[in-house]
Amino acid sequence: MSDSPKGPRVILEEPAPRLDFQWEQAVVPVAVPAPRARWSGLGRVAAGAAVLGLGLAALDAANFVVDQFGRGPVQGWATLGVVGVGFGLLAGGAWRELRSLAALRAVDRARVAFARQDLETARAEALRWAGGVAEAASLQPALRQAGSTEELRALLEGGPLRLLDAEAAGLGRVAAVQAFSITAISPSPGLDALVFAWRGVRLVRQVAALHGLRPGLAGTFALLRRTLFDAATVAATDVAVDAAARALLSNKLLEQFAGEAAAGAVAARRMLRLARVAAEACRIVPPLR
Amino acid sequence: MPADPFGLLRDLAEMPERGLRNLIGQPRIRLAVTGLTRAGKTVFLTAMVANLLAAGRGRRTLPQLEQAAGGRLRGVRLVPSASEALPRFDVEAHLAALAADPPAWPGRTDDLSTLEVTLDLERGSSLGSLLGGLIGRRTVTLELLDYPGEWLLDLPMLDQDYAEWSAEALRRLRRAEASTAAHEFLAWAEALPAGTAADEALARRGHALYRDALRECRDRLGFRFLQPGRVLNPGPRGETPLLWFFPLPHPRGGGLAGLLAERHAAYVAAQRADFFEPFFRRFDRQVVLVDVLGALHAGQAAFEDTAEALAAIAGALRHGGGWLDWLTGAGISRIAFAATKADHVPARQRDALAALLGHLVAGPQGRAGEAGVPTSVHALASLRCTQDDVAMLDGRPVAAVRGLLLANGRSAKVYPGEIPLRPPEPGFWEHGFFEMPEFQPPRLDAAGGSGVPHLGLDALLAALIGDLL
Ligand SMILES: Nc1nc2c(ncn2[C@@H]2O[C@H](COP(=O)(O)OP(=O)(O)OP(=O)(O)O)[C@@H](O)[C@H]2O)c(=O)[nH]1
Ligand SMILES: [Mg+2]
Repeated sequence: MSDSPKGPRVILEEPAPRLDFQWEQAVVPVAVPAPRARWSGLGRVAAGAAVLGLGLAALDAANFVVDQFGRGPVQGWATLGVVGVGFGLLAGGAWRELRSLAALRAVDRARVAFARQDLETARAEALRWAGGVAEAASLQPALRQAGSTEELRALLEGGPLRLLDAEAAGLGRVAAVQAFSITAISPSPGLDALVFAWRGVRLVRQVAALHGLRPGLAGTFALLRRTLFDAATVAATDVAVDAAARALLSNKLLEQFAGEAAAGAVAARRMLRLARVAAEACRIVPPLR
Repeated sequence: MPADPFGLLRDLAEMPERGLRNLIGQPRIRLAVTGLTRAGKTVFLTAMVANLLAAGRGRRTLPQLEQAAGGRLRGVRLVPSASEALPRFDVEAHLAALAADPPAWPGRTDDLSTLEVTLDLERGSSLGSLLGGLIGRRTVTLELLDYPGEWLLDLPMLDQDYAEWSAEALRRLRRAEASTAAHEFLAWAEALPAGTAADEALARRGHALYRDALRECRDRLGFRFLQPGRVLNPGPRGETPLLWFFPLPHPRGGGLAGLLAERHAAYVAAQRADFFEPFFRRFDRQVVLVDVLGALHAGQAAFEDTAEALAAIAGALRHGGGWLDWLTGAGISRIAFAATKADHVPARQRDALAALLGHLVAGPQGRAGEAGVPTSVHALASLRCTQDDVAMLDGRPVAAVRGLLLANGRSAKVYPGEIPLRPPEPGFWEHGFFEMPEFQPPRLDAAGGSGVPHLGLDALLAALIGDLL
């Protein structure tokens, strides 16, 4: 290389169209295999504890039933019945919890699919969702025909999601009136906060039920977390909430209180907002940026 | 950095939040992009955010980063603004300008702007993915800042008083090449007797001469170690009396020297409060962008000046490693050095470019290594504008790059010269000053949905934040 030209050089040519690396085609998404979950140390400990607890309890119970049969058939059958019902309830509860978590994760899957414009996944999720929501059931044939995620989104936004939003807003108004009245008459702010929290959790669960999510305990917790996180992304001054609050609070009866119940107005406003954010958190279509 | 008694308190105050965020797997990472003026910071931030957003939509724009994330990247979003007092770094506007016809590169940055990007990741472990529904996905939030490159050179000023700074600044101006640009200022300043009375007209005159000298050094000679930064790039508020100071050969005592020393102190305090304290006192990851080729082509003096500037900046930033940093979890935990505009050289010369950068930043890199901070060196084109080609020079084929010139839209083959693997011998500089022409960006999708073409951006990000994903 020692005899190659030393200094830099520019060699001019003719005008030309802009370079094109065909970048859009080069980076189109491919279906990636789902990453395999690793078992972390903590995960193994938790799973081990669960297996030991449940397994040993089951073995213990089985031994006990056998012993009881030794004493006589009546004792045996009675014990079997008690054990069966007990474990059955446990399993049923766990199943419900898992299902409610799975439903939430399905919402996440659908949102990711919409964001990535992955039509097949988005369609499958939308169909599954529509199967479980009365307002959307009639839409299934149209969803099957949709040719793009944009079309899917338009179908969902235009029909069922609008209805559900309206219903959620209705639930929010009911909760807002209750929060307002309770704050107006309750003797202590501590009690206010308690009532507000309880009513808020109920409201979030009601909205979730609208969207076909029937949250158990874990599901409710997950939903609340999502709602609170999403609250940060919904604009703080929300035109829809403002309008609803004004309409609600200019009610003749409520105006009587309004003087000393400024705190009540705030509580009512928060309920309205909570309903909106909860609806946002449950939608299977991600919000447009 | 002089010990700041409140800095430690602030670090301690941030500890619980940092700890909690790491515990639930939602860390916030401040990514400091340092680079001298024209190094390519604004383009880098634009390309990085655009490509991250595209990767979040499943586009394979950053394959090595995706690999580092184990395919668990589920989405990327810009954090909506809350109530920041600073302007927002406008990725969309920069992308639109680059994609427009005719295209435009971002202008010189003249103010701070910030942006936060959140990466959503599937949790890796089974327990994590089970709990994922409960405690949420893993997220990594990157805090980004864009700023004028000139201001970075105020960092070494923070621990100097006026007399020390004067001596240093004059020493640099008196070097052979610089003194041609600064002779008017130097002659004027040296004619001032010691103990000149404080006079506003004199101060203004000296400032104007000094400013012209700095501009000349930056624009004609390609020098970078020029202080104070705000004289070259005053920012949105324009020139304020704070800036009307300059180095003096007799910097001690009252009179004019006293006045200038006062302004110097006020300037340093202001830069510390507005720029250094909020953004550079604590950060987690650092990218150092260097326009190696530009410095090389600007000649030996400019090349050495760039190396000196980089070393001074690195010396002013803290690299963790102290036990206090370890205790408070502050300090940098990874540094990536990148030679930008690597699309200005053909593929087989890019390793040489990275090797040369390695020599240029050997000091800072060694110091970081001693503090236990992993570092890496890359050749990077944030936005690739050329294709490899072959040019015929003196009847012999040489590897070159071909791109469209921004100035006239004509296609051009550019042979960038032989890139030396280490700081070159004096004989290398004989061909004189060469300025790399600006290229037009390639055709881009104006909406930016697919990111932008780049060289090595994914490798750099994988080395820098891959361990967090
Ligand atoms: N070909 C090519 N040119 C680049 C690239 N990145 C930056 N440039 C060129 O370098 C110039 C400066 O880049 P900027 O990103 O604006 O530099 P900066 O560090 O923000 O500069 P200041 O704002 O002045 O501090 C751009 O106008 C481009 O011409 C790249 O990846 N490829
Ligand atoms: Mg810039």
